[in-house]
Amino acid sequence: MAMLEVRGVHTYYGNIHALKGVSLYVAKGEVVALIGGNGAGKTTLLNTISGILKPREGTIWLEGERCDSVPPHDIVRMGIAQCPEGRRVFSRMSVRENLEMGAYIRADREGIERDIEHVYDLFPVLRERRKQVSGTLSGGEQQMLAMGRALMASPRIILLDEPSMGLAPMLVETIFDIVREINQRGTTVLLVEQNARMALTVAHRGYVIETGNIALEGPAAELLENPRVKEIYLGENPAPPA
Amino acid sequence: MTVRSSLRAGLSVGLIAILMVLIGITQLSGQLVRGWFGLPSATPGAWLILLLMAGWAGSRAYKQAKATSWGAALAAGAVPGAAAGLLLGALMWGIGSLLANGTDLRQWLAQLSPANVELLTLGLPPLASALVILAALTAAGAAGAALSFASERGQWGAAWAARRQGLGAKVTSVPAIEKFLARPNARQIVLIAGLALLLLLPLGVGQYWNYIIGTIGIYVILGLGLNIIVGMAGLLNLGYGAFFAIGAYTVAILTAPEPHNIGMSYWLALPIAVVVAAIAGILLGIPVLRMRGDYLAIVTLGFAEIIRILLRSDVMTGFTGGPRGIRSVGGPELLGIDLNNETFFTYFILVGIVLAAFVIYRLQNSRVGRAWMAIREDEDVAEAMGVNILTYKLLALAIGVGFAGFGGAIFASRNRFTGPEDFTLQVSINVLCLVIIGGMGSIPGVLMGALVLKGLPEILRQLDDYRMLAFGALLVVMMIVRPEGLWPSARQKNELRVAEEELTAGPGTEVVEA
Ligand SMILES: Nc1ncnc2c1ncn2[C@@H]1O[C@H](COP(=O)(O)OP(=O)(O)OP(=O)(O)O)[C@@H](O)[C@H]1O
Ligand SMILES: [Mg+2]
Repeated sequence: MAMLEVRGVHTYYGNIHALKGVSLYVAKGEVVALIGGNGAGKTTLLNTISGILKPREGTIWLEGERCDSVPPHDIVRMGIAQCPEGRRVFSRMSVRENLEMGAYIRADREGIERDIEHVYDLFPVLRERRKQVSGTLSGGEQQMLAMGRALMASPRIILLDEPSMGLAPMLVETIFDIVREINQRGTTVLLVEQNARMALTVAHRGYVIETGNIALEGPAAELLENPRVKEIYLGENPAPPA
Repeated sequence: MTVRSSLRAGLSVGLIAILMVLIGITQLSGQLVRGWFGLPSATPGAWLILLLMAGWAGSRAYKQAKATSWGAALAAGAVPGAAAGLLLGALMWGIGSLLANGTDLRQWLAQLSPANVELLTLGLPPLASALVILAALTAAGAAGAALSFASERGQWGAAWAARRQGLGAKVTSVPAIEKFLARPNARQIVLIAGLALLLLLPLGVGQYWNYIIGTIGIYVILGLGLNIIVGMAGLLNLGYGAFFAIGAYTVAILTAPEPHNIGMSYWLALPIAVVVAAIAGILLGIPVLRMRGDYLAIVTLGFAEIIRILLRSDVMTGFTGGPRGIRSVGGPELLGIDLNNETFFTYFILVGIVLAAFVIYRLQNSRVGRAWMAIREDEDVAEAMGVNILTYKLLALAIGVGFAGFGGAIFASRNRFTGPEDFTLQVSINVLCLVIIGGMGSIPGVLMGALVLKGLPEILRQLDDYRMLAFGALLVVMMIVRPEGLWPSARQKNELRVAEEELTAGPGTEVVEA
């Protein structure tokens, strides 16, 4: 049984048909990359999964439990945590308070403390900055904080929306290393990215979404070799005829 | 360049001076000074305020000009003084001439009585009085500059600065005080002494001041409640007065002989009033808070007006007493003793404030407080973290307006009366203002805000008609000097700092532990 399964989901913004029958699954322990251009519907799909948007058609399942009509504040209790596009840390709270907010649904004080330490180990700069007001962190630090905050819910699956957006190449590598590490520690990951090369390097499998439809899917290594992916998402010219 | 700017400052001062003469502030100043010092005439006080203004302009001009010699300083100060004097002199010349022709200026400007004008013309002929004014203000400007120059350059300034430092050092160098401050529990002792003073205060100040302290206290309770809604949960409620009215009317209807003669005990009616207000808040909130966006502000604003108009209309006369309100509202009593007097109410309100502050303090540092804070910052993300935003918003609204109900219940029984005109929009706006002036989200801030907003107008009562003018000016000054409020919460300070850093991208800021 898949960790997360999306079956034929249609999501609308009023009359705008943003998702036109999207189906995908993420198996337990996998990193799955979802790549696509601007406005393809990636964020819409993540928001539909986390309950912020309601699909008009189709169903969503978390380890066999249906979760497409669960309100967002209960989705996180089921084990789906979202790290939203554009970080959106609580800018007036300190780093530590943000992490505590991430653990809002939990009551195990000791477990929370332990996980805060885990997050600090993953992102040592956050330990240094633990008392700093989050609004004054750099963009990269805010991204780390947003990821750490999502992890604090100790989710079964974490949804990452463009974690590499606007970061310097060095930091992008760090972020993807950490995605890999999070996965190795046992969290399933659905990774939305425009940086297709990096995402497909880290992921086991991938999907390509175009204007609300899944256009391609397959093992990450195969997608990296796919001519169409190469041309559109990896920015390589098609191989010249021999 | 500096001459031009000091000229401009002088002209502004001149215009302000003209306005002050025309609306009679010089006269008022003259009367006040005469009263304070027991002078025989109002003339010195009227001149004093004008000379002070010219002197201030002169001192400012000197600072801008950065004059380095006595001559330059005097010249720099004389320019704005002369400019102001020219304007005011011209005005007085005109007024004096008109009066000499027998024109009664009071038909246009009520304050321009011959006596008022004479304060400034000194009974001289028009042109002569204009010249005197010009000379006096020029001299005042120069004197202001000279004073600044002396205090910065001369030994005066050095001596003054040394004294100011010495004064600070001296207070703590008194051995007894030093020893006391070194004690680990010094803070608690000061706090307890302050509390004791507060407790004895109502006994010593008499009926009138008790009434005023009580009014301020009721506004503190209202402010604490609104602070939960606006400051902590970030919901804008513009109709807070409606819930104040609901509390007042609930108690009135339940305890007064007319129109229903229920005759309930005050102690029972009080909690009912709180609950009724809270329920009204929830009923209003459920449909509105479901929607995204700031609809609450508009809906609460409308709700407050509807409540007030309903209370005033004849339709409700049978139920709420209509425009005449409800008389003989019941008050507290204990074991047959009637406690319905100002002193008791002052104590009662003080206890209410302490309780309210305690409840809020506990809430602020709880899970609930965290949830509110998260909602205030980013609703969607807070929801994704597992915060049920509708529930928590309703909770904030219900608790907050419950405080309003509590305040209203005290208000009605203290006045033994409640009527629709007690609950104008002004009440809602006043409470919102005091929360903002004090510093959003801060408990001591609410206290300061209420003292300033409800206490200051009482203290300024001596200024009669100009009371609100002076009050408005003070508020403006306060918001310029302390934009984050009089006593902001640590978090509020962070907020401003975050906003600033977003602009300037300065170095990191640490959270001040609240
Ligand atoms: N709130 C909204 N109201 C109306 N249309 C919306 C809304 N949000 C998104 N859309 C539309 O839905 C489509 C999908 O948007 P979505 O945000 O999911 O794109 P995306 O794949 O995440 O793009 P990006 O990589 O730029 O973030 C776009 O055409 C967008 O204009
Ligand atoms: Mg997006």
